[in-house]
Amino acid sequence: MITTKNLTKTYGDFTAVSNLSFTVNEGEILCLLGANGAGKSTTINMLLNFLDPTSGTAQINGLDVTKNALKTKSLLTYIPENLMLYPTLTAIENLDYFTKLSGKNFNTNNLKSFLSEAGLQNDAHSKRVQNFSKGMRQKVGIALAIAKQAKVLLLDEPTSGLDPKSSNEFINLLTQMKANNVAILMATHDLFRAKEVSTHIGIMRSGVLQNYIETANISLKELETTYLDIMNFQNIS
Amino acid sequence: MKNIVLKELKELIRDGRFKIASIILLVLLLIATVTGVNQYKKNTEQYSISKTKERNIWETQSEKNPHSAAHYGTYAFKPQFALSLFDYGVTQYTGSSIFLEAHNRNEASFSEASDQTSLARFGTLSINFVLIYLFPLIIILIGYNAYTKEFELKTFTLLKSQSVHPVKLALGKWLATFLPILLLTALVFITTGIILSNLQGVAFFSWMSLSVLFFTYTLYYAVITTLTVLISMWSKSSGVSLVSSLVIWVLFSFITPKIATNFANSNHPYPSKSEFASRIAEDKQKGLDGHNPWSKAAKQLEIETLKEYGVDSISQLPFNYAGYRMQKGEEFEAQVYDKHYSILNDIAVNQNQTYKNLSFISPFVPIRFLSMDIANTSNNLHWKFTQAAEAYRLEKQKFLNYDIKDNMKVGERGYTMGADKFKKLPKFKFTPPLLSEILSENRQNILFIALWLVLPFIGLIMTSKKI
Repeated sequence: MITTKNLTKTYGDFTAVSNLSFTVNEGEILCLLGANGAGKSTTINMLLNFLDPTSGTAQINGLDVTKNALKTKSLLTYIPENLMLYPTLTAIENLDYFTKLSGKNFNTNNLKSFLSEAGLQNDAHSKRVQNFSKGMRQKVGIALAIAKQAKVLLLDEPTSGLDPKSSNEFINLLTQMKANNVAILMATHDLFRAKEVSTHIGIMRSGVLQNYIETANISLKELETTYLDIMNFQNIS
Repeated sequence: MKNIVLKELKELIRDGRFKIASIILLVLLLIATVTGVNQYKKNTEQYSISKTKERNIWETQSEKNPHSAAHYGTYAFKPQFALSLFDYGVTQYTGSSIFLEAHNRNEASFSEASDQTSLARFGTLSINFVLIYLFPLIIILIGYNAYTKEFELKTFTLLKSQSVHPVKLALGKWLATFLPILLLTALVFITTGIILSNLQGVAFFSWMSLSVLFFTYTLYYAVITTLTVLISMWSKSSGVSLVSSLVIWVLFSFITPKIATNFANSNHPYPSKSEFASRIAEDKQKGLDGHNPWSKAAKQLEIETLKEYGVDSISQLPFNYAGYRMQKGEEFEAQVYDKHYSILNDIAVNQNQTYKNLSFISPFVPIRFLSMDIANTSNNLHWKFTQAAEAYRLEKQKFLNYDIKDNMKVGERGYTMGADKFKKLPKFKFTPPLLSEILSENRQNILFIALWLVLPFIGLIMTSKKI
C-alpha cells in the first residue's frame, strides 16, 4: 500500500509538490498524469527516499519512508523511464545481483523462471545486457519485482519510447502484477495506457493534485477532455 | 557486501583493463626480481669474498711495528641485508665499506662502479619501484570509476532503490578495488620470501620483517584505494575522476618528495667536503698528535702522566709511554671526528625530520622512510654502520697501541708484532637494529600513516551517505 499525506517538497520559493495526499491499495494502479514539471517524478523520488519531503509523510505498507528507508525499499521495486543494467553482466547475473542486494537468494533456474514470467525470451537470459532494447531491460525490472515479491511498484514513465508491441506487453505485465495484489504507482504522459491499465488516475499540475478519478467511471474521451481542460487552464493562467 | 564485491570483481575481470595492466606489472616484477636476485647474489658473494680476503690479508701481513700495522689498516664491510632485495634505499649511494686506519675516520666507499655512468641517471627497475610507484597506478585504474560508472551508466538510481545501506555499498566497492592489489602484493612478497629463504649467504632474513614490510605496503595501498574511491564519489565523470586521481598520484610520488628534498636542503645545508675536512684538521691541530712528542699538548700529557704515576721521567713509567701517548692521541682525534660527524648526522636527522614533517601532504613520505628502515637500507642504518665501524677502528687502534704500551721496552727499536697477535684482533661485526627498535624509531611515520588511513576513510563513509 502506498500512502502520502500532505506531502510537500519545496526548493526555496519554488514548490515542486504541494500537499499531495493519496492512497494506492493492494491490487490498485494509480496513474499520475501531468506535463513535465508537474511533480510526478518528485513524488516518486520522495517515496524512494531519494528526496526528503519538506513536510507531510510518505508511507509504504504503513512505514514512513524517511524513518525506515531500507525496510521500505525492500518492499518495492522501482522502474525508471530508462532502466539501465550492468552491460558486462548477463540478464541472469543482473537479476541475481539486484535480488541479492534485496536480501533474496535464488538459484539460476529460479532466476530464469522469473525472467520468463516477465516475458524475456529464453535465449536472452544468458546474454550480456549491453545490446538489450529498452523493452527487454524493462522486463528484467519486472522480473526483479516478481523475484522480490514486491508489494509496491513505482514506475516513472515506463512506456515512454517503447514500441507499441513492447508497450502492450509491458501493460499486460502490469495487469498481472495488479492481479497479484501489488500496489502500483505509475507516472505517465500516456492517457491511453493510463485509461487501459489503471484503477485510479490523478492529474497533477504545478505540484498540485488537480483531479482524482476512478478510472471505471470515466471514458477515454472524458479523460482527455478533463486533462486538456486542466492543462489549458495552466496555459491561460 | 560479499555480493557487491563479487559483482565488482566480475565486471573488473570482464573489462580488459585489469587483465592487461596486471600482465604488464607481473612481467615488470619478474624482470625486477630476476635482475634484483642476480645483483643481490653478486653483492653477497662480493661481500663474503672481500670480508674473508681482507681478514686474511690482515692476519697474514708481515711482521711489523703495531703502529705501522695501524697505518696499514683494514676494512669494515656492510653486510648485504636480505630485504635490500625489495628496497635498495640509499645503499647505491652510500657505499658499502670503510677503510679503517690510524688517525683518520674515513667515509664509506666502493659503491657500484656503474653508479658513475650516465645510465645511473635513468635509475633501476627494482621490486620497490614497481611496488611503490606502479601498484598505486593499478589501484587508480581499477577504482577511478567505482562510482562514476554507476552515474554514467545510470545504474545508480536502480542501485539506490534497493535495500542496501550506502556505507555497505561503499565498503564493497572499496574492497573490490583493494583486493586485487592485495592479492598481487601477497604474491610478490611470498615469492620473494621463498627466494630469499632459499638463497645462500643471505644476511638477517626474517619472515617477520618481511611480513611487516608487506603490511606497510598494503597500508599505503589502502590509503590510495580510499582516496581513489572517494574521488570517484565526488566526480561527475570517469574522466575527471581518473585525471584527479593521477594528479594526486603525481603529487604524492614525485612533487611532494622533490619539494621536501629542496626544503630540507635549504633549511639544513650540508657543509662542502673541503669545508668539513678543514674544520676537522683545524680542531685536530688544537690537540694531541700521538706522533709529535714535542707539541704543547704532548708536553702537558707527559707532565700529567708523570704526576699520576709519581715518577720523574717517562723511562720510570711501568709501560711504554710512546704507545700510551699514541693511544691518547687517537682518543683525542676520535673525539674531534665524533664531534664533526655528529654535527653532520644532526644535519641529516634534521633534514629527515623536515622531510617527515611534510608527511601530511603525502603518505608516500612516511611509507618510504619506514620501508627503507625495515629493509635496512636507510641513511639511519648507514649511520649506525659507520658508527659501528668507527667504534671498531678505535678498538683496533687501542689493541695495537696497547701492545706497544705493554710490550715494547722504552727506547727499543725494531719492535714488531707477528701474525699470532694480528689474529687476536676481534673481527668486525655489525648487527642491524631489531624490528621492534625500527618500529619504535618510526613512531611518527606510523602515526602519519594511521592518520592517512583513518581520515580519508571517515570522508569515504560520510560521503557515501550523501550521494
